[in-house]
Amino acid sequence: MLSQIVSALIVMVVGVFAAAAYFYLTNRILDLALPDTGDVVKASRNLRTRAMIRPWLFLGPAVLLLAIYLVYPVIATLILSFYGRDAQEFVGASNYIWAINDAGFRQSIFNNILWLAVVPAACTFFGLIIAVMTDRLPWGNFAKSLVFMPMAISFVGASVIWKFIYDYRGEGQIQIGILNSIVQYFGGKPEVWLAIPFWNNFFLMVILIWIQTGFAMVILSAALRGIPEETIEAAVIDGASGWQIFWKIMVPQIWGTIATVWTTITILVLKVFDIVLTMTNGQWNTEVLANLMFGWMFQGGGDSGRSAAIAVVLMLAVTPIMIWNIRRANEEMKGR
Amino acid sequence: MSIGKRLARIGLPRLIINLTVFVVVALWVMPTLGIFVSSFRDKDQLTVSGWWTAFSSSERNEAGRLGGLDLMKQEGPIYVISGNVLEGRGGAVNAFGTKAVAPRAYKAGTEADLGDGIKLSINSDGAYRYTSTAPFTDDNTGRRVYLAVATPPVFTMVNYKNVLTGEGIGQSFVNSLTVAIPATVIPILVAAFAAYALSWMSFKGRTLLLAAVVGLIVVPLQMSLIPLLRLYNDVGTFLGVPSKTYAGIWLAHTAFGLPLAIYLLRNYIVGLPKEIIESARVDGAGDFEIFTKIVLPLSFPALASFAIFQFLWVWNDLLVAMVFLGTEKDKLVLTGALNALLGSRGGNWEILSASAFVSILVPLLVFFSLQRYLVRGLLAGSVKGG
Amino acid sequence: MKKLLLLGVAVAALAGGSAQAVDLKFKPGEDSKFNWASYDAYKKAHGDLKGETLTIFGPWRGEDEKLVTTVLNYFSEATGVTVKYSSSENYEQQIVIDTQAGSPPNIAILPQPGLLADLASKGFLTPLGDDMSKWIKDNYGAGQSWVDLGTYKGKDGKKAFFAFPYKADLKSLVWYVPENFKEAGYKVPATMEDLKALTEKIVKDGGTPWCIGLGSGGATGWPATDWVEDLMLRTTTPENYDKWTTNELKFNDPIVEKAIDEFGWFAKNDKFVDGGAKAVASTDFRDSPKGLFGVPPKCYMHRQASFIPSFFPDGTKLGKDADFFYFPPYASHPELGKPVEGAGTLVTIAKDSKAARAFVAFLQTPIAHEVWMAQSGFLTPYKGVNTAAYANDTLRKEGELLTSATTFRFDGSDLMPGKIGAGAFWTGMVDYVSGKSSAQVADQIQKAWDGLK
Repeated sequence: MLSQIVSALIVMVVGVFAAAAYFYLTNRILDLALPDTGDVVKASRNLRTRAMIRPWLFLGPAVLLLAIYLVYPVIATLILSFYGRDAQEFVGASNYIWAINDAGFRQSIFNNILWLAVVPAACTFFGLIIAVMTDRLPWGNFAKSLVFMPMAISFVGASVIWKFIYDYRGEGQIQIGILNSIVQYFGGKPEVWLAIPFWNNFFLMVILIWIQTGFAMVILSAALRGIPEETIEAAVIDGASGWQIFWKIMVPQIWGTIATVWTTITILVLKVFDIVLTMTNGQWNTEVLANLMFGWMFQGGGDSGRSAAIAVVLMLAVTPIMIWNIRRANEEMKGR
Repeated sequence: MSIGKRLARIGLPRLIINLTVFVVVALWVMPTLGIFVSSFRDKDQLTVSGWWTAFSSSERNEAGRLGGLDLMKQEGPIYVISGNVLEGRGGAVNAFGTKAVAPRAYKAGTEADLGDGIKLSINSDGAYRYTSTAPFTDDNTGRRVYLAVATPPVFTMVNYKNVLTGEGIGQSFVNSLTVAIPATVIPILVAAFAAYALSWMSFKGRTLLLAAVVGLIVVPLQMSLIPLLRLYNDVGTFLGVPSKTYAGIWLAHTAFGLPLAIYLLRNYIVGLPKEIIESARVDGAGDFEIFTKIVLPLSFPALASFAIFQFLWVWNDLLVAMVFLGTEKDKLVLTGALNALLGSRGGNWEILSASAFVSILVPLLVFFSLQRYLVRGLLAGSVKGG
Repeated sequence: MKKLLLLGVAVAALAGGSAQAVDLKFKPGEDSKFNWASYDAYKKAHGDLKGETLTIFGPWRGEDEKLVTTVLNYFSEATGVTVKYSSSENYEQQIVIDTQAGSPPNIAILPQPGLLADLASKGFLTPLGDDMSKWIKDNYGAGQSWVDLGTYKGKDGKKAFFAFPYKADLKSLVWYVPENFKEAGYKVPATMEDLKALTEKIVKDGGTPWCIGLGSGGATGWPATDWVEDLMLRTTTPENYDKWTTNELKFNDPIVEKAIDEFGWFAKNDKFVDGGAKAVASTDFRDSPKGLFGVPPKCYMHRQASFIPSFFPDGTKLGKDADFFYFPPYASHPELGKPVEGAGTLVTIAKDSKAARAFVAFLQTPIAHEVWMAQSGFLTPYKGVNTAAYANDTLRKEGELLTSATTFRFDGSDLMPGKIGAGAFWTGMVDYVSGKSSAQVADQIQKAWDGLK
């Protein structure tokens, strides 16, 4: 055990050190290889070449890793989506045609739109409210860590947690789900929450909101703390109310971060499947694209063509978000 | 003086803020509290009563069993079997019965006439006396009796004991740390450099690259597992090394975390005041110096907040670890080892709830230790006029 | 990067160096209920594999993993092979990923013939040979049906025997608390008609007859498929059952719909099930049997496979506190005999090696079965074992039911394509108990089947 700990430590240090050394050394080498010294013409040419190469030294590892681990699978997926279930024969667009005609697929699209409309907005809203409000409390850090907790709980743990909330026992029996217990206490009839079509989507969304609000909160409170003291100081002196400070100073200052958080959660929502998988596995009309894809990928040996086609649809769904982000980035750059 | 104090001074009633935060936090904590309480409860109780009833003493119906023929004694003309139905379980018997449908037919301490000269009395401490005028037979001994037992709240550490003493937990804890620490630090380093290049260095294809990064966040992890593992196997065979190594999993986690890391960090770094960077450039600093001496320190809140998330994603991951590190005992990460404690068919809510809290400790620790880097005012001194 | 890889190797090597001394649960030669002669003979034949490593990937975790390890220890002891057993909650994904990426375990043990058939058709499994299938046919109770279970089309399209059945589960069981029956004066029913009469009588007496729970997280709905399969075997011929699993008999055939409705008779009546029909789909199958032990009882009967006692409350003694009876056939269908539905785990070779072959040969020895039988939760259709080795009477009774069945059929949903048997069928059953009619769900499942190429 001890030797394992020691070697683990060594490996960790070496691993992290190697990554840091890469950046340091490549930059040194670039500076040494194309020095500023020498005649003016050569020096300025070196300067330009350096300016051209350096971004790629900075970006190099990231681009390489992304290319191998993400771009290559994306291309593989794209190709697979035109092949049959064993990736053996070319089937043209038939996987896509199947998808359009599949009731489960259409249901997933509908549900995904619901999720996209509700979850990112709710998470960002709650995250912002909590970040702003706790910022001014002596027990703010404590409150934040409690809201953060759901993020840290592994998903298997979370599924048990929500079992104890949504659980249903017959009418008149002792309820072990807190929701039905409350309903029964006030004289209502217990419900099988996860089996009520349409509304059950929202009961599942609550789980993701519960988990992801911590994410929004942490990122937003980091941004809030980046607002220069002087800005708020000045507003206070001008006699602005708390409400005005929030809307006129804070929100505009961290608007970029709010957009970032919203974008991130939107994309995460597209990817989320474990909540649906463990709570209902898409039954009672709760299917979402990611879970549908997961099912076609692994269940009973899977069908790589169909799952790839669904994955491609998922990836296409982010296009509007990408375009919006590019626009935003370009505007930022213009101001530069 | 914090923003909070200032805002409070200018009007928003403190009490409302406090109350609102309290309500929100209470709502957020309630589900976790439920599983926390449950993790200290007896496993058979979990599915019988709500966790919120765990604190009050309750009256429950239970089944007990009377002694067998071997306990039969003769006392004058009658035959007696005696003992204690509670068998060391705590509580007090309020009533008892001999039929499951009527478990409270007789008050504790009274004698029930069961016919055929057979009588039974059970006291509130659980002591019973079962008598018959004729010798007992196999037929009427060892019989089940039903009790209404008042039990004080009972909490147990046994679930935690089971989890913490589970096979290979210590080893898997070390494995998890070995995976998680580099898999947190390396992507941050790589992403920070890339984010800087994407926001403060000009080169062709910058916007396009940024768009690609945003798009890559959506790539479903499961999609890439098979092609990547195949690649790992090929590289492994080619180099003559095992394909499932720590280096392999670090790179995998690094790459899977990168798009989001680059995106979040870029959006922070691009918002840093232009003046600082310009003035450093004017002073003759190169990009490497600007990055390490100015941008990196200023980005601490963003780095810290991403570190928190990357750490806990890696820490809670099971699938990537299973695929790239393998499923063998000595390589299992904590999530894998905890998972192995569940039976083949799962559903051990007590193990699940206890292990949820065992595995949450480290991410919470990371959160607390990094939270102090989410500080205000890093920029304050360096910006002139905002 | 290469440096990193090498370091990783170094760590892995350091961590992997701890071989454990093999610990045998029952000392060879000591207890005469075990067939030690078979063990000694095996040892002689295969004792030359020292230094080989065998990786096994199986479905058993937790308690079950401890049990299977006791068996594997005998294999290691006899052959000198180092066994590395591993399992995962996501074993279905794991095996798909590992085989397709080219790093499979030597031995893959799975409870799903449908998944294995798929792996075989992609060429990821090694055929075990005709000798082996003949051995199963001769030595297993209802041998042919076990052979069929492990026979799939290979990559070349030819049928071959790929999967060795080891460890069986019995499905056609109804669990009850004998004392509850005794107190209420109920008798164990011998025919389906009696069972239905008993169900109605319990309601009349003010009780609730059944606990049915279909909840199982991502697999919600599967317990209902067992009900329907058992009722199929009791309302139609085994031949129709076989056709049903291959879709020769359409899912929306009246024969199938009738079986579904038979299940509905039990499950869709608010008075017949604990919590009402609404509770059926959402109650977790692992929580459901606990109703039997309520005071007063929440229900009197629970139809579930032989594994379910591990979810009974702590300290429940089988045979005394809880027992089972055979889910009876209809008196009106005497021609169908005594059908039994079962399931089992299947052992396949995903990466051939001498040790892997030796392992399959080991499973042919009675001792490989008896060691687990003598502990808990293990049934075997192998006729060569000493049934005295079963740890208790309940297991023995189940084992005898398994070897003496006139008709034995495997869990039909496991035989169907994964997308049906572990997908549309589950969903359909959930929809059925949630209110849809049998015709609607049968059409829906058939449509999903038609959608498969």
